[in-house]
Amino acid sequence: MEKMIHQYKLNGYNIILDVCSGAVHAVDDLAYDAIALYENTPKDGLYKILREKYGKDAEIDECLSQIEELKQSGQLFTPDTYEPMADTLKKRTSGVVKALCLHVSHACNLVCSYCFAGQGRYHGKSALMSFDVGKQALDFLIENSGSRKNLEVDFFGGEPLLNFDVVKQLVAYARSIEKEHNKHFRFTLTTNGVLIDDDVIDFCNKEMSNVVLSLDGRKEIHDRFRVDSKGNGSFDLIVPKFQKLAASRKGRSYYMRGTFTHANPDFLNDIKVMLDLGFDQLSMEPVVCAPDDPSALTAEDMPVVFKQYEELAALMIQRRKEGRPFTFYHYMIDLQGGPCIYKRISGCGSGTEYMAVTPGGDLYPCHQFVGEEKFKLGDIWNGVSNTAVRDSFEECNVYAREECRTCWARLYCSGGCAANAYHATGSVKGVYKYGCELFKKRMECAIMAEVDRLYGDEDDDADS
Amino acid sequence: MKHIKTIKTRDLCESAKNGGCGECQTSCQSACKTSCGIANQSCENSKK
Repeated sequence: MEKMIHQYKLNGYNIILDVCSGAVHAVDDLAYDAIALYENTPKDGLYKILREKYGKDAEIDECLSQIEELKQSGQLFTPDTYEPMADTLKKRTSGVVKALCLHVSHACNLVCSYCFAGQGRYHGKSALMSFDVGKQALDFLIENSGSRKNLEVDFFGGEPLLNFDVVKQLVAYARSIEKEHNKHFRFTLTTNGVLIDDDVIDFCNKEMSNVVLSLDGRKEIHDRFRVDSKGNGSFDLIVPKFQKLAASRKGRSYYMRGTFTHANPDFLNDIKVMLDLGFDQLSMEPVVCAPDDPSALTAEDMPVVFKQYEELAALMIQRRKEGRPFTFYHYMIDLQGGPCIYKRISGCGSGTEYMAVTPGGDLYPCHQFVGEEKFKLGDIWNGVSNTAVRDSFEECNVYAREECRTCWARLYCSGGCAANAYHATGSVKGVYKYGCELFKKRMECAIMAEVDRLYGDEDDDADS
Repeated sequence: MKHIKTIKTRDLCESAKNGGCGECQTSCQSACKTSCGIANQSCENSKK
């Protein structure tokens, strides 16, 4: 059984992660070096190395006894005993669906050149979902949700507000049946903002637990890709609408969701623009596209992106201390109340508990597979008929990929995105290496920021 | 002196006992849609 720790230095902190217990330790230099050597160095050798660097035997003794205490209490060098559970969970959750991505519109009023969905049409014809198809999708969800109470439905596209009347009708229908089925629907909406008006804002505030608003940051970056059919940038049109919507959320979630590409690996500048515009719930995602696409991130972009992530974490800490906090989706981490081990090893749920529904009612493993005919699972009238594809997604857990089995981030990542893996390697059980590198850097930054939140003020007090 | 400060975290080994209710948010469902992990999800198990 693999015993694994991960240790790193960032922003003045020495951090040790005990991978399998989930424990996080902030340590001094002596403990940092001692923990690195502890499991693989005979005690005499360990003392010799530490004495040469740190001198005092008493300090070394004290440090080593603290390390041993943590080891004995299951917070350091914890072995991985979880692999058999991956199979158990699969059996326990087989056939249960709890979340749908409803593609209410395969049409869009923007023609963003980097769109993974082929300008909203998913490489097919333009289409809008009818109320009858959407209603059947909601019935399918309820019928297949077993004992799950919380059901999630994201209105997605294309641009879902091109079919806003159907969105409203579907929400009303779901609300009319959720109690009798002992279910609770959580709705979300992902929009480019062009059609936001007061009616949309009122509806979102009443019914949407989250709204995802697409904005790439700097005007010139946003308008490079996010244009209308005549090539006009959309920044000036949508920003005031987003500002009005965000201001009206009053404690409810919204996310400004940007995409960074090869054109703006320095995306912290885009985050700063979003902050200057008054937004404080932000998400910035690496582009999803073929490796030969001009927008694709390259090896040369990686160091730039890593630096952005580090500086972003430092900016978050600074703004929190100034009383002007903001959240960054990927840096939200709940170390005390986060997911249980089952969730951590079982993957994102695509193709099993989460599916996408096309305007015509076809089922796909997730929104990113829509239009890839060989991944079609079935439809909302007859359920899943392509069990081979479903089975391949059921097998996607953190132990299904050799690279994940030994990765320190596996219980934060859960094996990553099957669509990214497929697009990068041709297999849903492959690994998208750039994605892994970015994820690991984000986790290091997120955990460091959390350590600072818990201990940074204490250290500041001690300094003053 | 204290060489190690341990942050209070959920004990993952312990979470195996009552975990797996499946009520938590599907990882990719909102805000992300491309590159989500599970670390930022909240546990919704009422019996934990």
